[in-house]
Amino acid sequence: MLSLRIAARFLRRSPAQSGLIAAGIAMGIGVQVFLGSLIISLQENLVDETIGSSPQVTVAAGTEGEPVGFTPTVRDALGVDERITTVVPVRGFSAIYRREAESAPLQVVGGDLAALDTIYDINGRTVSGTATLSGDDVLVGRDLAEENGLAPGDTAALVLPDGAVSRRTIAAVFDFGTAAANETLVFVPGPFAAEVLGLGAEQFTAVEMQLTDVFASVEVADELRADPSLAGLTVTEWQSQNRDLLDALQAQSSSSYTIQLFVLVAVALGIASTLAISAVQKTQQIGILKAMGMHDGRAGRIFLWQAALLGVAGAAAGVGIGVALITLFSRLGSTFTISPQWGFAAVSFVVGVAVALLSSLIPSRRTSRLDPIEVIESG
Amino acid sequence: MAEPLLVAEVLGKTYGDVVKTVALSDVAFSLGRGEFASIVGQSGSGKSTLLNLIGLLDTPTTGRVVLDGHETGPLGRGGRARLRNELLGFVFQFHYLLPEFSVLENVLMPGLIAKGVEKQLRPRAEEVLALLGLEGLEGKNANQLSGGQKQRVAIARALLNRPALVLADEPTGNLDTANTALVYELFRKVNAELVTAFLIVTHDRTVAQRTDRILEISDGRLVQDVRNTYVAPAT
Repeated sequence: MLSLRIAARFLRRSPAQSGLIAAGIAMGIGVQVFLGSLIISLQENLVDETIGSSPQVTVAAGTEGEPVGFTPTVRDALGVDERITTVVPVRGFSAIYRREAESAPLQVVGGDLAALDTIYDINGRTVSGTATLSGDDVLVGRDLAEENGLAPGDTAALVLPDGAVSRRTIAAVFDFGTAAANETLVFVPGPFAAEVLGLGAEQFTAVEMQLTDVFASVEVADELRADPSLAGLTVTEWQSQNRDLLDALQAQSSSSYTIQLFVLVAVALGIASTLAISAVQKTQQIGILKAMGMHDGRAGRIFLWQAALLGVAGAAAGVGIGVALITLFSRLGSTFTISPQWGFAAVSFVVGVAVALLSSLIPSRRTSRLDPIEVIESG
Repeated sequence: MAEPLLVAEVLGKTYGDVVKTVALSDVAFSLGRGEFASIVGQSGSGKSTLLNLIGLLDTPTTGRVVLDGHETGPLGRGGRARLRNELLGFVFQFHYLLPEFSVLENVLMPGLIAKGVEKQLRPRAEEVLALLGLEGLEGKNANQLSGGQKQRVAIARALLNRPALVLADEPTGNLDTANTALVYELFRKVNAELVTAFLIVTHDRTVAQRTDRILEISDGRLVQDVRNTYVAPAT
């Protein structure tokens, strides 16, 4: 590995130049790692906030108003797919909250608290009271509670679809982070919802599901639609109903990729120009090495090795800088958790080394083509 | 009769495509193993061009060079590089030592280029350094040496691979009289002890008088090839 040895010596001979070029790579990769982790964390946070605590795929009756029979056949059909993590049958209906002359529309979801928790994380999002769903309990959102001065223990009057009024005790107030959910969503015990809707023990209005990968919802929904044991049922998934969110995420990713691309181009140009200067500076050494019999390819590899050494050192330092920036950002009290994306960092490291190697191609080619006579004659 | 080490046949070199400049034409001579010869001539006479052609650093426009039985004409850059490494040692007016490496590493370089193992090359490197009176300087950087020492290290480097022929182009051009005398004594010593042939380019006739054979180049032609019986007095 004489080429590697010479490359290392050339770099050591000009520590300031080598340090600057490695710092350039480090800064570029550091920005990559930070920006990539930021965008990925931001998107994960946004996705989690928006649909993390709501059904991602829903099976409902083909005809509106008809119940879904949550029979063993349906249960088995939904249970075989490993991508489906949670299956919760619910009974939902519309109601109105009435307080004196004022009223507000409600979306009532009835079910078992433990099962609902697996999708909605009601316990984790309870801001006051204790979440229970038995007897005449009702769980209401923060906005509804605040607008109407409600607190756990108070009674809330719900006007049911048939016009009857049900007075229920508020067990807890939750905060789902979105005004729409906090204003309109309420939870009631499953048996009460069944009674309101006139449904039997195995009858529900929908079966809600969550997935291991939220972005697999289209694929999962398509497969469920094709399942003969679910014939007659309609399957909906979150992506088709949240195009704007997806477009926003896509736009965010695109802008992030554009910035990262330009950072890489800037890094590549920096390395290429510095290595080109280095190749000129070392012309005499390369010339005499060739006069002594060093082959063209081996001479050219000196600059590939230089680039590889700079790339590995710079990219490794860059990953460190990226992680340091992430830590600093998190400590400065960001509103969401930004976590280092190690997979992305590994890709950035490889990209950093690859960009360095690519940048060395021109000086490397120039070196391999150098004729020793050019150096000897110019003395 | 033994096969000559070097055969140059009707060697010519012309530069330029549109305006042609003839640097060398119809040069023919041969050199035996262990010969100690010089090429003399005025500046611009073509002697360095001849050395570059023989040293496979440049390719002739006409003629051929046969080195140690190897026909060099058909060789590509890689083949010429291999022969340079195996058969030739170069000493130039400027030492061309690698400042990034120590004296020992500089001397080892031709062996490392030949993919030799450093540990095995080391005794040989130390031997040539001792032959040139450079003991104790192994670990020093080339920049820490005097001009004469640098040139001696360059000679040691040229000798590492036990070349059959050392080509020296004005090797003492940058040295003072004492160092010049020392370098030629060393050349002589190496020539005698290792049976290495020397072909020394010089414009200085007094230097050429120290060699056994003098080839004179004028206007790109070999005008004289004489055996020299003069032995310079010790300085």
